[in-house]
Amino acid sequence: MLLRIDGVAKNFVGRNGVVAALDPVSLTISPGEFVTIVGPSGCGKSTLLNLLAGLAAPSGGQVLADGRPIAGLDRRIGYVTQQDNLFPWRTLRDNVALPLELAGVGRAERAARAQEWLARVGLDGFADAYPHELSGGMRQRGNIVRTLIYEPEVILMDEPFGPLDAQTRLGLQALLLRIWQQTRPTVLFVTHDLVEAIALADRVLLMSARPGRILRDEAVAIGRPRDVFFIHDDAEFRRLHDGIWRDLAREVTV
Amino acid sequence: MRRFDWQDPRVVRAAQLLLAAGFFGVWQIAAGRWIDPFYVSRPSDIAAALGHEIASAQFYDDLRVTGVEMLLGYGVGAAGGVVLGVALGRFAFVARLLDPFLVALNAVPRVALAPMLIVWLGIDMASKIFLAATLVFFITFFNSLSGVRAVERGLCDVARVQGASGWQIFAKVMLPGAASWILTGLKMSLPFALVGVILGEFMVSSHGLGYRLNLYATSYNTAGAMAMIMIMMAITMLLGAGFDKLEAHLLRWRPPPAWVSAAPRI
Ligand SMILES: Nc1ncnc2c1ncn2[C@@H]1O[C@H](COP(=O)(O)OP(=O)(O)O)[C@@H](O)[C@H]1O
Ligand SMILES: [Mg+2]
Repeated sequence: MLLRIDGVAKNFVGRNGVVAALDPVSLTISPGEFVTIVGPSGCGKSTLLNLLAGLAAPSGGQVLADGRPIAGLDRRIGYVTQQDNLFPWRTLRDNVALPLELAGVGRAERAARAQEWLARVGLDGFADAYPHELSGGMRQRGNIVRTLIYEPEVILMDEPFGPLDAQTRLGLQALLLRIWQQTRPTVLFVTHDLVEAIALADRVLLMSARPGRILRDEAVAIGRPRDVFFIHDDAEFRRLHDGIWRDLAREVTV
Repeated sequence: MRRFDWQDPRVVRAAQLLLAAGFFGVWQIAAGRWIDPFYVSRPSDIAAALGHEIASAQFYDDLRVTGVEMLLGYGVGAAGGVVLGVALGRFAFVARLLDPFLVALNAVPRVALAPMLIVWLGIDMASKIFLAATLVFFITFFNSLSGVRAVERGLCDVARVQGASGWQIFAKVMLPGAASWILTGLKMSLPFALVGVILGEFMVSSHGLGYRLNLYATSYNTAGAMAMIMIMMAITMLLGAGFDKLEAHLLRWRPPPAWVSAAPRI
């Protein structure tokens, strides 16, 4: 699916007047591309993903999927939200299987596919646990897997590894890259971690402080498959990192 | 040495039995010495009256009448309250439109309504069922509405992104999300079903536990009246206990409440 964001702005009307979250942003994302977005906190990254998911409408401009404006929700676009949003009354298995259940997939197949995906992220021993019985990292893995399980063409991810410790984070980055390489969905991945942004992406977008604009759009010319554990040894990685970091630091401190 | 464990359910149970025995013991001793049993009767007389009731066919007739009225009143009121409460949670405009009217209706003192109900619905079961239903309805309605409104927006969004239809949102997000509130409403309103029925029976009736209680009280049969009250208490407590079981099953996904001590036992 070809995504096009054409002069999109978003304002929020709050108690203290109008807040401009996004300055007009324009951007095209090709099918199968892995794009990461970095930017200071509150610059409108989540807002941008909400617009692409069809959960909110832009105040100006157009969000297009394959040339047609996104009006409302589209099952071909999956969304791993920043909060894990697991259903507290469902076991981990039933949480992960929910998209299949909504699509009318039979119980046995649902359970089997949920089990298979839970095993891929090391959660197969916790299928019958309720969310309150899991650690933050385990819940977040469940949140990710329940979008991967129904294989949407586009996957929006909002700081999915944010609450995880460094080791788990690297492990899941490697896993995500493996899965992406197999099925090649379009991924739009928001993170506040520049190392992660470069390690994963075909393209890194740097956003300005609010109201968000795209400051830089950098292609990442590092070969694949990549080894996220040793990516910092790569010369191209270091060149990109130092270059983008200078701009990012300016946005964060101002 | 083992420390005495105040959290042990057996310790709690034993203390409860002790407390109850103490209460009835003091009552038994006090009645006839310091207080006139004409007013409060005494446990031994009440026990005798209870035995007499349980052995009589008339009691089961009363129990059946009151039970049916209570069940129907509760069923109608609770079903209406839950369905309307959850539905209005989905339709913000209708909820806002009806809000002042529902508040006004709930402000009608139901006791004052009782004589009118007899005029409208007659002296048979219908008036009692209706009275019970109006009490139950508003409790379950307001609880269900609050429950649906308390469902986190993020959960709805996730289901919608994953392709849930309006009906699926209702059945798989709203209803289970509001379950703890709905169940609270259903549980809280249970005693009111009996209150409504008994109240109706006090007004006009020829059968039922309320009729019998009224008859005993007005003929100064204190032991009989007390026995009736205890039977009503037992009914409410039994149903409540059944409800707690159901709730524990339906809400088994919840973390244990904070007041249950999590201290390790060594
Ligand atoms: N629903 C809302 N109402 C009002 N303001 C909002 C709302 N959502 C986001 N904002 C504001 O828009 C800006 C961007 O928010 P967001 O997209 O969540 O930032 P982030 O880049 O951290 O994900 C913030 O300043 C935030 O306060
Ligand atoms: Mg955000």
